[in-house]
Amino acid sequence: MAERITDIGPPHYSKFLPPIIKDNYGKWASHEILEPGVLKHTAESGAEIYSVRVGSPRIITTLFARDICALADKYCGGYLRFTSRHNIEFLVTDKAQLEPLKAELKKAGLPIGGTGHSVTNIVHTQGWIHCHTPAIDASGIVKAVMDDLFEYFGSHKLPAQVRISLACCLNMCGAVHCSDIAICGVHRTPPKIMHEKLRHLCEIPTTIASCPTGAIRPHPDKNLKSVIVNEPRCMYCGNCYTMCPALPCFDSEKGGVALLVGGKVSNAKSPPAFSRLAVPYIPNNPPRWPETVAAIRKILIKYAEGANKWERVGEWIERIGWEKFFEVCDIPFTFQHIDDYKFQAYDTYRTSMHFKF
Amino acid sequence: MAVVEYKGKTFEVDEDGFLANLDQWGPEWVEYVKDLEGIKELTEDHWKVINMLQDYYKKNGIAPMVRILSKVTGFKLKYIYELFPSGPGKGACKMAGLPKPTGCV
Ligand code: SF4
Ligand code: SF4
Repeated sequence: MAERITDIGPPHYSKFLPPIIKDNYGKWASHEILEPGVLKHTAESGAEIYSVRVGSPRIITTLFARDICALADKYCGGYLRFTSRHNIEFLVTDKAQLEPLKAELKKAGLPIGGTGHSVTNIVHTQGWIHCHTPAIDASGIVKAVMDDLFEYFGSHKLPAQVRISLACCLNMCGAVHCSDIAICGVHRTPPKIMHEKLRHLCEIPTTIASCPTGAIRPHPDKNLKSVIVNEPRCMYCGNCYTMCPALPCFDSEKGGVALLVGGKVSNAKSPPAFSRLAVPYIPNNPPRWPETVAAIRKILIKYAEGANKWERVGEWIERIGWEKFFEVCDIPFTFQHIDDYKFQAYDTYRTSMHFKF
Repeated sequence: MAVVEYKGKTFEVDEDGFLANLDQWGPEWVEYVKDLEGIKELTEDHWKVINMLQDYYKKNGIAPMVRILSKVTGFKLKYIYELFPSGPGKGACKMAGLPKPTGCV
């Protein structure tokens, strides 16, 4: 414990602000998007700063971090920032540096974009790189989807911004529950119980309490000190495995992707909304997940064709109705789409005669 | 699974140094973890925490919540950290021979 430094918190952000941002802090008059990926902010004083936004894969090497530092040194007085969707923003004060920076970014393969009505970066999770509960990978699917939708990153041709997120299990680390299009990892097999190990690895009451459907009970054989799972009650959420390592739930053949649509967090026009199930299951298909990629593209294209300007995916669906959404996107409607989780499921059923054939 | 030999006893441990077989717990285990944890000497207060954790686990099948540990022993969280530098989970529960804490820790 000698010489241990603790509880010092993060360094104050003001230490890392470009001087022009420091001088005009809280005194910005307006901003405009000059072109996809390039913003200009004008202060009351007339001072201007340009931000050039580029995509990043989120998981990066130290060498990559050094490369972007070198660019920031060369063009931005050493300043850059990361956005809340893991894009990188180079903050340029000297307008003359804008074109040379853009040229060098292009040469380095760093895509400029992610502003306005685009598909910006995908907020995502750990997947098979680091977590122990995933049903799908994160980085792999994100790369495959962004490759396919790349044209929408550096352009403004959608009716509104489209936020895509990914979580590799229903813990939903990140933003899948509130995104325009969400990719979520789902299991389809109940946990396997390692009876001999369970009592050394798990607290049985915590494990029982972790199950949202009450499917877990103490093992009838008291000497075994284990649990049993009522399989027809299990919906494969994997929560019990999070609490108890002796209940592994992953089956690489059976796990896969579910797609959700229509969530948002902003209060613009309509209130924030949860995303809802669109496609219950697409098989895991590494390394390119072609079925998942195709399904997302289809939803995006139909939205782009059908939505009015400024309409988010969820607002478009609410306007045309969910039955129409399934029809235009050519997604089969299955029993999995019908909510059956406790009392609030009732509120999701139609209690009116208003519907389209 | 790694095996630790200490003072003539063997302990199966997992990759984080928690007991993989809870039945192997004994005073030697406490001695062994004490060294790993950088605890100079085991005081009465250390044992008060260890005994409380074991009693609670035997009775309830779970580790107590931190607030219950504090309330029953009368030790504030700050003092528990002084006793067990890695904290009540990684330090005290490991020493007391409880299963490794799980969840998004
Ligand atoms: S979403 Fe699930 S699997 Fe993915 S990082 Fe979070 S907890 Fe791990
Ligand atoms: S996977 Fe989920 S539903 Fe199934 S037993 Fe575990 S906690 Fe319950």
